[in-house]
Amino acid sequence: MIEEYLEKILWTYMFFVIIATFGVSIYGIVFRPNMLKKIIALTIFGDTANVFMIFIGYRAIYPIKPPVLWTSHPDKNVLNTFVSQSIDPVPPALVITAIVINMAITLLITFLAIQAYRLYGSLDVRDLSKLKG
Amino acid sequence: MKTREKILLALIIISLALLAVILSFGALGAVPLKTIRPLGSFYLYFMANNNIVIQEIYPSITKPSDFWAASTEGITAILWDYRGLDTLFETSVFFFAIIGSVSVFRYYSVSLEEKNKKNTNNSSTNTKTSGQGLSLIVKLITRINFVVIIAVSASIAFHGQLTPGGGFQGGATLAVAPLLAIAALSRYFVEDVGLKKNTMLTIRTLGLLIIGLLALTPLIMGFAGGNPYIMENQPKSWAMFIGFPSFGLGVLLGSLAFYNMAELLAVGAGFTVVFLLLTLPEEFFKKILSREVGKQ
Repeated sequence: MIEEYLEKILWTYMFFVIIATFGVSIYGIVFRPNMLKKIIALTIFGDTANVFMIFIGYRAIYPIKPPVLWTSHPDKNVLNTFVSQSIDPVPPALVITAIVINMAITLLITFLAIQAYRLYGSLDVRDLSKLKG
Repeated sequence: MKTREKILLALIIISLALLAVILSFGALGAVPLKTIRPLGSFYLYFMANNNIVIQEIYPSITKPSDFWAASTEGITAILWDYRGLDTLFETSVFFFAIIGSVSVFRYYSVSLEEKNKKNTNNSSTNTKTSGQGLSLIVKLITRINFVVIIAVSASIAFHGQLTPGGGFQGGATLAVAPLLAIAALSRYFVEDVGLKKNTMLTIRTLGLLIIGLLALTPLIMGFAGGNPYIMENQPKSWAMFIGFPSFGLGVLLGSLAFYNMAELLAVGAGFTVVFLLLTLPEEFFKKILSREVGKQ
């Protein structure tokens, strides 16, 4: 009974941490005028979303294992044990795609930010928004 | 802080609090679950199972080989076999991101080394690697690590269909080797061993070409009949493609292993191009840029 209660508190704490990190990253994206800080906040936002997805795929059981089968010729018992102990493989599969896309986008906007700095000597969006042409 | 900003901040806080409330009332179901979701359980049962029928759980499936991916690693099986098209487009996004980055730095046509040679009027002294980089100890350790990192990345990629890892992870690890060498041994060393921008771009294109060919192979073989589809991995009863070898060297293979090897090349070389461009000295770049801007 106490264990269940503690477990509930732990997961609620996890939710709180994830949502607080979302908050910090959104604050960074919206309120920081420096482009570099905006990019850093954006990566934090993406990573928090990924952690959240992993969290959805996790299972509150013990022992819990990654979805890696230990034999190439599984019989019925092996399969049943494997499925009963493994995490849900669908959210991590979605996350791995998200990581690559996130990385690709970050790469491109970082290069654009570097180019903007080299051409105009500033990364402040207030300065950059005044530019014409 | 202006009033507008205050309102915006309040809106963000309220929406996040709302999200927390919705989640705590179970919008996503009970998170985390004690049981596994039906879709995840289906993938786990069939990813490496081509001969046993789990009749009690899936009575309608009499041919498990229709769903098997020839992989003992659940996430890789889902990525390449069950939702491979998504992964193909993800690779395209990565491809265009690198192309975009390189096009931003399009002024950079000659290597740093050649440029320096021109500046020093082909002096006979060896200015390439001497006196560059960190101390001898760091250089020596980096040389050893350089080889070890390449071996580790190959291991991650070639075991990708059996254990956690795969082409992208292996490629990302592989790209750490040139990054370390740039930091410890200087950019001259990296260009000296042949890791130049154009060479890396060629390797990356080669990797992506292999991925494209692997994806199209079932369709090409389909001219002989059998009605296969793009990126097909193993034969299905409705699409009788001969299938990629499901056993090789005593381990499971499928198309996954070949994709991983090609992805290792593509991602490793792609990241190396990015690191080479990012480590260009600012003065060198500014000189070229001012000339280009002056022309217009």
